Amino acid sequence: MATPPPPTGTLASAAPATPPPPPTGTLASAAPAPPPPPPQSPHTPSTSAVKSEVHAAEAAADSTPIVAAAAAAAAVSYTITIPSCSGWFSWDEIHETERRLLPEFFDGRFSSRNPSVYKYYRDSIIRQFRAQPWRKLTFTEARRGLIGDVGSVRRVFDFLEEWGLINYTPSAKPKERREAAAAKEEEEGETAERKEGPKRLCTNCRSVCGLTCFTTDKADIILCSRCYVRGNYRPGLSNFKRVDNMEELKTEWTDKENLHLLEAIVQYGEEWKKVSEHVGSRSAKDCVVRFIKLPFGEQFLRPIEDGEDNGPNGSYRSNDEVAAEHGGESLKRRRLTPLADASNPIMAQVAFLSGIAGSDLAEASARAAISALHKVHIEKSKFTNDIKVEALLEEAAAKAQSQLEEEQQDVEKSLSDIVEVQMKEIQDKIVHFEALESLLEKEWRQLRYMKDSLFNDQLAILQHQNRAKFTAIEDRTGNKFRTTSDVNIVEKQAN
Amino acid sequence: MRSLTLWSSKAPIKFRMPTAENLIPIRLDIEVDGQRYKDAFVWNPDDPDSEVINFAKRTVKDLKLPPTFVTQIVQSVQAQLAEFRSFEGQDMHVKEKIVPLKIDLRVNNTVVRDQFLWDVSNFESDPEEFARTLCKDLNIGDPEVGPAIAVAIREQLYEIATQSVSSLREARAGKKGRRGADTFNRPGNSALDLVKYFGSKGSVIRKRKDWYLYEPIVDILSNEEVGALDAREELNAR
Repeated sequence: MATPPPPTGTLASAAPATPPPPPTGTLASAAPAPPPPPPQSPHTPSTSAVKSEVHAAEAAADSTPIVAAAAAAAAVSYTITIPSCSGWFSWDEIHETERRLLPEFFDGRFSSRNPSVYKYYRDSIIRQFRAQPWRKLTFTEARRGLIGDVGSVRRVFDFLEEWGLINYTPSAKPKERREAAAAKEEEEGETAERKEGPKRLCTNCRSVCGLTCFTTDKADIILCSRCYVRGNYRPGLSNFKRVDNMEELKTEWTDKENLHLLEAIVQYGEEWKKVSEHVGSRSAKDCVVRFIKLPFGEQFLRPIEDGEDNGPNGSYRSNDEVAAEHGGESLKRRRLTPLADASNPIMAQVAFLSGIAGSDLAEASARAAISALHKVHIEKSKFTNDIKVEALLEEAAAKAQSQLEEEQQDVEKSLSDIVEVQMKEIQDKIVHFEALESLLEKEWRQLRYMKDSLFNDQLAILQHQNRAKFTAIEDRTGNKFRTTSDVNIVEKQAN
Repeated sequence: MRSLTLWSSKAPIKFRMPTAENLIPIRLDIEVDGQRYKDAFVWNPDDPDSEVINFAKRTVKDLKLPPTFVTQIVQSVQAQLAEFRSFEGQDMHVKEKIVPLKIDLRVNNTVVRDQFLWDVSNFESDPEEFARTLCKDLNIGDPEVGPAIAVAIREQLYEIATQSVSSLREARAGKKGRRGADTFNRPGNSALDLVKYFGSKGSVIRKRKDWYLYEPIVDILSNEEVGALDAREELNAR
């Protein structure tokens, strides 16, 4: 008398589709992973919770994941993200990590705690969470629906939560950081809060400034990096200072402080305590950070320019100060001049861009630029009759062409091979069927022959009988017909 | 597979739940300031006592109960654990008893009634597995029904186990050292006489007229009926 129960569990189809969180500033050098097949949850048949697994550029535990393209299937298009450290998860298997961290299910000590039970717990909990991914799944809810002892369920639940397979919202982390920073700001009671608050809006395009923004003293404008590079500001503005959101949230280093810092470094070398004393209002750590950020600090780090601060103008200024004050920094200055040459506006722009974009992109674009230049050079030299290069190029082109043709031929050949094989198969089949047919034919003929002989025998019997009785009744068509009298005669004869 | 011996008195073993895993059922029914919290789940007594407090805190936080519930929950769970542990050191006899267990419970909108035979001497039995399979086979949609069934089975098994301990104790006290093996051969009232059923003349197949007794019944109630039943239960509780 079991009536079919109504589907329980909340249906997620009524939920509004929330947009995925905006990608953070890290480069899209990670390839998005293909979305795994949707889960077959028995009690939410009419929804299809969309999932996507994401990978980030760094594999750190607290990395900010980039949301991969979500394949929107049905009305619901909530993307579920998990951190990259849990990329190993799959519905069909149990991974080494799980075996390692929850050994009670896998070491065979208890017959009722086995991998299938673990999988049942894990799959049910994750499915339950993904049915309503916008809210946090509590342990009590989860264990209420699971058959098993609450201790083991709790351990599985904690494991899944820790690894971000449930109750994980990627926007939580950077938002937390920004909110914490904002709280700190308010505590310190900064007056210039609007400028240095965590969420800065570009005055031009009204978009949230990501990592860096540019401000100028003259006009009290904040520009996002895009607007600055494109030059979307009113003419007459110059002297843009670059401000990093994430890093310099507190105050910016004034020129005086920079000066003191450099003095102190030259004087004290690497004794940061004394340096910070000399600077005054900065801790030793801040001094080190600041020093590293200064353009010539890279000499001690790496040759690639990164994290330039205050733009070429600023560095030019500070560079001058350094030169003026100490005079022994010619080596550093020489290193700087190619980039710090503010008189060349193109180089200044390039310096800005490379600073903003980061080293990899700069490298790649430099390489591309060089190759483009090289091409241009080749073009030029064509006109100046540099036959050698031309010939080489032509040769290379011809080689490539021939290789291409070869490949094509190969492909055609293999195609024809395949077709041949298939045809052979079909032919074999035909032969086989023909053999069968002939066999069949033979058998049929045999059958007919036997039938005929049976008829003949019967006919012969009848003839004899009839001859014995009255007149011979011959049925030319050969149909056998039995009258009752014939039957009697047959019986008598048999007896 | 043990060979089927009808002489069932074996050396007594230490008390434990006659299932593959030594888990005990815990039932909570706490009322504070008009707020009632009812729950039933399965607990592993080998978990450390700190687990109890963590569990209580987590439950109170998840269900948004007032914090006074924490101590109440902890006390109740610890009391039931203590009761279990008081039996633990003692001996119990393992009789080859096949006992009918009954399920008669209502969880949210689902009512389940069932009766089946259970081998109490099978220490590899798994009530959780049974509950899972039952829910799957009967297509029970509500996931909370399963744990309730497992708890019900465990409670009855626990009852039987404690009875066997006390009966052994009584017998020992009564006999004063003499081993009365014959008394234990006689199965209890509720158990089945194995000889009769599985001996040479009996048959394992149940008679058709008894089929209706052992068929599981699952009913889905409407919300009004649920409301009515809840009200009646509360009245009975007071």
